[in-house]
Amino acid sequence: MSEMWLNMGPQHPMTHGLWNLRVHIDGEVIRDVDPEMGYLHRGIEKLSEDRHYNEVVTLMDRTCYVAGLAWEHLYILASEEALHIAPPERAQYLRVLCEEFQRIASHLMWYAAFVQDIGLMTPFLYGMRDRDLILDLFQSYTGARMTYEYMRVGGVRNDVPPGFTDRARQVLDWLEPRFVEYDQLTLGSDIFHKRCDNLGVLRANDCVTQGVTGPMLRSAGLKRDLRKDRPYAVYDQLDFEVALADTADVTGRYLVRLEEMRQSVRILRQVLDWLDRHPGPVMASQLPRWLGAPYAPVGREGYLLKRNYPKGVGFSAVEEPHGEALAYVVNEGGEHPYRVKFRSPVYANIAAARHYLVGYRVADIPPIMGSVDICVGEVDR
Amino acid sequence: MTDSTTTDETTNDTTTGGSVLWVARPMATAARQFAKSLFRPSTIVYPYERLEDPKFREKVEVASGKPIGVGQIWDNYRGVHALNIATCISCNLCAFSCPDICIDMVTVPGGDPKHPKKCPQIDYGKCSFCGFCSDACPEGCLTMTTRYGLTTSKRAEMVYSPQRLYDVYRTKLPMNPIRLARPENEDSILLDPPLCIGCNACARDCPTQCITMLDVPKPEAKPGEKLPKRIWKEPVVNDSDCVRCGTCISVCPKECLFWGTRK
Repeated sequence: MSEMWLNMGPQHPMTHGLWNLRVHIDGEVIRDVDPEMGYLHRGIEKLSEDRHYNEVVTLMDRTCYVAGLAWEHLYILASEEALHIAPPERAQYLRVLCEEFQRIASHLMWYAAFVQDIGLMTPFLYGMRDRDLILDLFQSYTGARMTYEYMRVGGVRNDVPPGFTDRARQVLDWLEPRFVEYDQLTLGSDIFHKRCDNLGVLRANDCVTQGVTGPMLRSAGLKRDLRKDRPYAVYDQLDFEVALADTADVTGRYLVRLEEMRQSVRILRQVLDWLDRHPGPVMASQLPRWLGAPYAPVGREGYLLKRNYPKGVGFSAVEEPHGEALAYVVNEGGEHPYRVKFRSPVYANIAAARHYLVGYRVADIPPIMGSVDICVGEVDR
Repeated sequence: MTDSTTTDETTNDTTTGGSVLWVARPMATAARQFAKSLFRPSTIVYPYERLEDPKFREKVEVASGKPIGVGQIWDNYRGVHALNIATCISCNLCAFSCPDICIDMVTVPGGDPKHPKKCPQIDYGKCSFCGFCSDACPEGCLTMTTRYGLTTSKRAEMVYSPQRLYDVYRTKLPMNPIRLARPENEDSILLDPPLCIGCNACARDCPTQCITMLDVPKPEAKPGEKLPKRIWKEPVVNDSDCVRCGTCISVCPKECLFWGTRK
């Protein structure tokens, strides 16, 4: 009678969202796991088919609510390819600025949630406090703290306000010593090592067969980063390193994410310098009129089909904070995308739970699943 | 130790020290932070101190320390809308551009009885604060303010009538300063002359009064041919005043107006 199935979730502090981890336990030891997703399905892909290209951006912020700008970037890259539009270079730099700040904010959010999972309450507050500075920066130029709606097909909504780059540099100057403090708070503590070392080991070949990407893959020692391997936007003009670890365990994922934040700071300094030196337009000129979503609402149905606007298919791959996110947009000539499809990295990372949970103990589940960095919004879409 | 930025050095240093000091090192870091926060708190007492109040905004900016310079609500925050009823031209563009279909155009007093003036009414139960409506507004009369508290105990109170939005406008909260440039190659309203019956509906309902009805010569009827029964006038659109709302297209009974590039 020591064997049983245990439901962790759908409402459990470990899940960080709505999903259910069914665990087959033998005493304290995990024999099998069965992740169940789908509690947060909102039909975002189907909803996108009924909206204008720009209006889909409002859904992207809700797809992943801790990395909204990265998902906006993903969708916009795919739809621009489908619509044959090239954004100006300054807009691309602004998008990279958004994505890297979002990466730091997302990793800080992860840090705060993860250390709380393993019982450290104090670093949680520091992570959230420092993330707030980035949200303030976002608000100063996008107008919102979480649902940004900043990117548009053909560019971005508006340029950064005067003095923004200096404020952003101040935040980066503030953040860099904080990373050292984070390490002192966690790696310096024996409790952290006792709870995290050699836990949830997932080697590189298992990662590849299970489609696990992002910091989990890099913590296994495989150098795979879409920003390097398949450069999009202006990443090929920026100088940075891919964060790597070789332990493939929870501590390794922690190290990779901390190093990624440092590399993001490095990228951001280059981007801010570029933005200072190169003023210019942030929106492509000569866009088809209907792309500015609000204009000409009446009589626009079938407008493009009448005009024989070229059809197209767009595909984009973005190294999102959680892993590799892919998007596929089909333009059949109408005002709405004909089909939108996303690949969520966290979905694959959770689905492989059997490969990194079996054999460990029940008390190890929170740190292991915490190290996956779960955002259920993008899992279920 | 504090100077090291690379992961390897930090890791080695702290792991070796960690086994000896157990949790002394993180506790020292936390104690240092605690001492700092005594003089420089990172938070405000929310319900009593609100960021949109300039008084507290200043306090937070000072409190969060000069190295940050953030911790305030910027003027381009997308909060509750403000509507200036006086300059609203009832062009419907806000309602059309809303992705969540939460804007209704409702009648407000002040218009002439035959063609009442309509202004946006916003259902905040549905609104996603994306700002497309204020981006679309050609007159700048619908903007977004820094107000964000919308708590209420009745669902009906989530619906803001034009008058309530005007009340927000009158509080003189900071408004979103960002005005988007209009697209360069906007299409114009074109006319298909043989279909037009000169009914004046487009000119009558045009919110900017940019359509004028000009006389067209009445052709001579050939023997045996019947002239169409119509008024011999045709609309001419002034493109520089047109806000591209499409009202004329929607009211045209003969569907003779359409979007196109003016030659």
